[in-house]
Amino acid sequence: MKVFDSLVTSNIRQRPMRSAISIIGVALGVALVMLFTGLTRGMSNDLQRRSSNVRGEIIFTRKGSMHVTASSTNLSTKYVERLLQIEGVEAATPVIRHIYPSGTLGFDQIEGVDWNEFARMNDLRIIDGRAPQGNYEVVIDQTKASRNHPVGSSLKIFGEKLYTVVGIYVPESGARQKLALASLQETLEAPEKCTYILIKTKQTADPVAVARKIDQELPGNNVQFTKDVFASVESSIPSLGLFLRLLVALAAVVSALVVMLAMHTTITERTREIGILKAMGASRAYIVGEIEREALLISALGMVLGFGIALGAGFLIHKSTGLLFEYGWKWALVAAAIGLVGGAIGALYPAMRAANLDPVQALAYE
Amino acid sequence: MAILKAERLEKTYRIGKVDVPALRGVSMEVQAGEFVAVMGPSGCGKSTMLHLLGGLLTPTKGRIIIDGEDLTAASDAKRTDIRRRKIGFVFQRFNLFPTLTADGNLRLAERIHGNGAGDPERRREILGMLRLEDKMHHKPLELSGGEQQRVALARAVITQPAIVLADEPTGNLDSENSAIVLNMFQELNRRFNQTIIMITHNPEAAAACGRIIQMRDGHIVAG
Repeated sequence: MKVFDSLVTSNIRQRPMRSAISIIGVALGVALVMLFTGLTRGMSNDLQRRSSNVRGEIIFTRKGSMHVTASSTNLSTKYVERLLQIEGVEAATPVIRHIYPSGTLGFDQIEGVDWNEFARMNDLRIIDGRAPQGNYEVVIDQTKASRNHPVGSSLKIFGEKLYTVVGIYVPESGARQKLALASLQETLEAPEKCTYILIKTKQTADPVAVARKIDQELPGNNVQFTKDVFASVESSIPSLGLFLRLLVALAAVVSALVVMLAMHTTITERTREIGILKAMGASRAYIVGEIEREALLISALGMVLGFGIALGAGFLIHKSTGLLFEYGWKWALVAAAIGLVGGAIGALYPAMRAANLDPVQALAYE
Repeated sequence: MAILKAERLEKTYRIGKVDVPALRGVSMEVQAGEFVAVMGPSGCGKSTMLHLLGGLLTPTKGRIIIDGEDLTAASDAKRTDIRRRKIGFVFQRFNLFPTLTADGNLRLAERIHGNGAGDPERRREILGMLRLEDKMHHKPLELSGGEQQRVALARAVITQPAIVLADEPTGNLDSENSAIVLNMFQELNRRFNQTIIMITHNPEAAAACGRIIQMRDGHIVAG
């Protein structure tokens, strides 16, 4: 076929190993961008989905005791009674939110709740098994259950302690695994303590007015709205945006360097051929164009492979660790641009060098 | 009509701190349709003169007019353009692109020349004359030396250049293939009135040409 009888494609096929390494180099840059941004987006969206199912509008804590990435158990559950007496409060339920080291993800979170009260407030229901009652009993959401954790199976929480899955609930809400409040209080040696109290306001009440009232009645504590606490991970983790941008820049540099090195070697090897092109009357622009086309073809193949690697790796990582990847068009376009533009820029110096070769010296090159 | 005019051409190479003169005032004229051989001992300046006539080098002094265009007054880009439109090169070492088929090599020349698919009639005629029709899908390494040089010759003339410059085109061939290739040069010259300037060490090859220019020490001494 004529398309395979051009200098661009024939040169790529002539050195399959070097072409493959260049393609893989570009692919890794593209895959890195896709995986990191996909993971950030996946985790952020997952957190937002789960927090949107928390029906209580107000979170009551001690000052500075709760954040997306940290929590402490320092609030007395006795506040529940006082909160229920405040006008506009329909229900209040204590929750322990505990973050602990976990083998696969690095960390995981668990909640201790008074199941009946918490489920009623947040419209949760058990679809298999029953609610947690005693120590070492846990209920999990469907997503967690789908990773081979049926009712009756065991989960390792807090290091080596085995907890029995006694129920599966829907919809997903907050932490994926929940214990009885008393059980977690005992484990953490924090009797009558919780991390926060989740408050649902009456339908007729204005949550903002209720929050203001709570602040007046119980000063010195922290009154926040649920939607603010579970804000986007991307905006709540400091410098995450900067980190992602740095990663993208790094991937672009890697792609450009790989292509530059490959094209530089290729130009040196083909010095004589460039001399022939010049003798045939090929202009500088023509020679730069041929080399850029070759680099762009390598980059395009690398880009396609990179997307494939990102999709495959994302799927495998999700299967083995539960980490969620959600790929967006915006970052896919950025990754594609990195692959293509990085490759084109990387090839520019070798291309210019080739275009400026002296034809007689190039023809004499052995 | 003179298709090529060289006036008092001089070329001096600077090697380290020493000036080495390669051409010392060469003047010549080649008429359209001439087949000229350039002979002389090694180092007499034949290749330098060929590279100057092809615009691959610039002279230290002198002027070259090709088909009415002043090569020496042209910028580098303009010289490249003149080479693209008016010159066809044939080298001793064939210099085909090894990754392309014979057809790919010819198409590359047409692409660089900018005439798209070229002139199909001329292509057919040239391939027939050079007996290459059944070799077009072979890569250079699958062809004999003689066949490779015939492909190189086809590549040089497919774009209808004003002049073909051949640098010892039979230097790497055995006598049988040399005779075939020389025959084809003559045929091209006769049938297409193709102007050819050929460097050679081989008196038999020179004898196939209409005129012989003898060079020595950077001068033309005869022809």
